[in-house]
Amino acid sequence: MSTDQPARHDPIYDDLHERPEFTELRSRYRGFVFPATVAFLVWYLLYVVLSNWAGDFMAHKLIGNINVALVFGLLQFVTTFLLAWLYSRFSSARLDPLARQLDEEYIAALEGRTTIGREG
Amino acid sequence: MSSLDAVPGIVAITAVTVATLAIGTWGLRISRTTSDFMVASRSVNPRLNASAISGEYLSAASFLGVAGLVLAFGADMLWYPIGWTAGYLVLLVLVAAPLRRSGAYTLPDFAEARLASRPVRAMCSLLVVAIGWLYLLPQFQGAGITLRSAIGAPSWVGPVLVGVIVLANVTSGGMRSITFVQAFQYWLKLTALLVPLAVLLAVWLGDGSPGARGGGDTAWSAPLAGDGGGAGLYTTYSLILATFLGTMGLPHVVVRFYTNPDGRAARRTTLVVLALLGGFYLLPPVYGALGRVYAPEQTGPATDVIVLELPRLMLSGLGGEVLTGLVTAGAFAAFLSTASGLVIAVAGVLSQDVTSRGPRGRRIDGVTAFRLGAVLAVSVPVLTALAAPHVGVARVVGLAFAVAASTFGPLLLLGIWWWRLTDVGAIAGLVLGGLGSAVAVAHTLAGEPVGGWGGVLLAQPAAWTVPLAAAAMIAGSLLTPGRVPPHTRQLMVRLHAPEALGLDRA
Repeated sequence: MSTDQPARHDPIYDDLHERPEFTELRSRYRGFVFPATVAFLVWYLLYVVLSNWAGDFMAHKLIGNINVALVFGLLQFVTTFLLAWLYSRFSSARLDPLARQLDEEYIAALEGRTTIGREG
Repeated sequence: MSSLDAVPGIVAITAVTVATLAIGTWGLRISRTTSDFMVASRSVNPRLNASAISGEYLSAASFLGVAGLVLAFGADMLWYPIGWTAGYLVLLVLVAAPLRRSGAYTLPDFAEARLASRPVRAMCSLLVVAIGWLYLLPQFQGAGITLRSAIGAPSWVGPVLVGVIVLANVTSGGMRSITFVQAFQYWLKLTALLVPLAVLLAVWLGDGSPGARGGGDTAWSAPLAGDGGGAGLYTTYSLILATFLGTMGLPHVVVRFYTNPDGRAARRTTLVVLALLGGFYLLPPVYGALGRVYAPEQTGPATDVIVLELPRLMLSGLGGEVLTGLVTAGAFAAFLSTASGLVIAVAGVLSQDVTSRGPRGRRIDGVTAFRLGAVLAVSVPVLTALAAPHVGVARVVGLAFAVAASTFGPLLLLGIWWWRLTDVGAIAGLVLGGLGSAVAVAHTLAGEPVGGWGGVLLAQPAAWTVPLAAAAMIAGSLLTPGRVPPHTRQLMVRLHAPEALGLDRA
C-alpha cells in the first residue's frame, strides 16, 4: 500500500497544487493553527512562570485549601477543550466547503481524460 | 492480610476478567480479515471510538500514578494529566488528519511513505516496539502491586494474569473486538473512581473536612513550593514538552486514528476524547489530596497504591470493602485496556517486519503473523516486569513519553510540515533523540540517583533531547538536499488537502 507510492507521479497533483483554492485552503488553515498554537503555548507557560516567580499569588487561598494555582490548573483543562471545539467548528465552517469544491474540480479533471495506466 | 480481606478484590478481578473476555468473544463474530485485526476495518463510529481511545489512554499511570504523585510531591504533579490531555490537542490540530490521509497503518508505514527509505522504516519499527515495551512495563508492574494490595497475591501473579488475558483477547479478536472491550473499560474506570470518591468526600466532610497532616501542612498545594528555582522550572518545561509531543509518538494512540472512516471523523472523535479525558483526570488528584489528609506517611513507590487503600483507611466494615472492590476493578480494567492497545500496536509492527518471515524465507499469513507478534509483544515486558525493580508507575510512563517525544515528535512534525526533510536527516534525529532519552531511561531503571543538575537532566530528558533531535533532523536534511524524494510534493498535497477531497488515498 505504501511501497508503490513513490513510483507514481501524477501531474494532476501539480495542477491541484497550483490552484488558487488550494493556496487559499492552506493559508486559512495556517491562519488558524499557527496563532492558536502560539496562544496555547503562552497560556501553558504562563502557569509555570507564575508558579516559579509569583508563588505568593499562586498560593493565595480562595476557598479553604483551594488556591489560585489549583484554579489555574483546572482552567488549563477547560481551555484545552475549548480550543479543540473551536478548531472543529472552524474546520467544518471554513475548510470543508472549499475542500468539497476542490474535490468536484478534481473529479471533473479525472473524467476529462482517459483513465488508462491509472491505478486506483 | 486475612482471607476475608481478599474477597472484594477477588470478586472484582473475576468480574472484570469475565466481562472483558465475554465482550471480546462477542466482538469475535465480526473479525475476519487483516484489516479487521489491525484497524477494525476503519469503520468505528466516533462516539464508540472515543470511549475506546479514552479507555485505552487512561493507563495504570492515570488510574494509580497521578494520585500517588500528588500524594508524594504535591499539586505540581497536576502537570501530568494536563500534559496528557493537551498532548491530544496538539495531535488533533497538527498531526491527526494529515496522518490519517497518508493511508498508512502504522508509524513505520508513514515514515516509509514519506521518506521512501527502508532504513528509516526499520528504525521506526524498532522505536515503536521499544516505546511499546517501555509503556507496557509499568502496566504489568501496576497489575502486580494491585493484586498484592487487593488480594495479597505474590507480585508475579498480576503481570502473568494480565498478560494471559490480554493475549487471549488480542489474538482471538484483534482491533475490532478490542474496541468494544476498551469502550466498556473507560466507563468502568470512570465509575470505579467517581463512586468511591463521592463516598469518601462525604466521609471527609463528616470528619469536619480536616486539612493535610504533616509535611508542611498546605504547602503541597502551592506549585513548585518544594524545589523552585531553575531546576523546578526546567523539570516542568521538560514534562510539558514530553507530554505534548510524546502523545503523538505513542504507538497505541496513533494506530487508533486509523480506525476512523475519514479525517472529519478523526476530528470529532478527538473532541469527545478530550471531554472524556478531562472529566476523568479531575478525579485522581482528589484522591492524592485525600491521601495527604488520611495517609501522609506514605512515601516512595508505596504511593502508587493510595487509590486502592484509601477506601479501607477512611471507611471500616462493608462499605470500605465494597469500595475497595470497585477501585480494584477499575485499576484492573486500566491495565487490561492500555496493555491490549499497546500489544495490538506492537504486534502490528512485529507482524509486518519480523514474524511474517518463517524459516527458509517462507511468508507467514497476516493473521498468524499478527498472533505470533502478540505473543512476543506480551512476553518481553512481562518478563522485564518480573525482573526489574519497581520504580513508580507514573515515572516510567513519563519516560516512555520522553522517548516518544524525542523521536517521533520531531519526525511527525517535520515530516508533515517541512518538505525538505530527508532520510539522512530523519535517521540522524532518531538516533540522537533515541540515544539521549534511552540513557535517561537506563539511568532511571538502574535506580542510581545522580545529584545536582546531572540528575535533573536525566530525570526529565525531553527539554534537551527534543531540541537535539529536531536540530539533527534539520541539519542532516539541509546537508543532503539531493535526497528529498521526488514524490514529496505529491504526498504533501495528499496530506494537506482536507478530508472532503477524495484523492486516491489507497
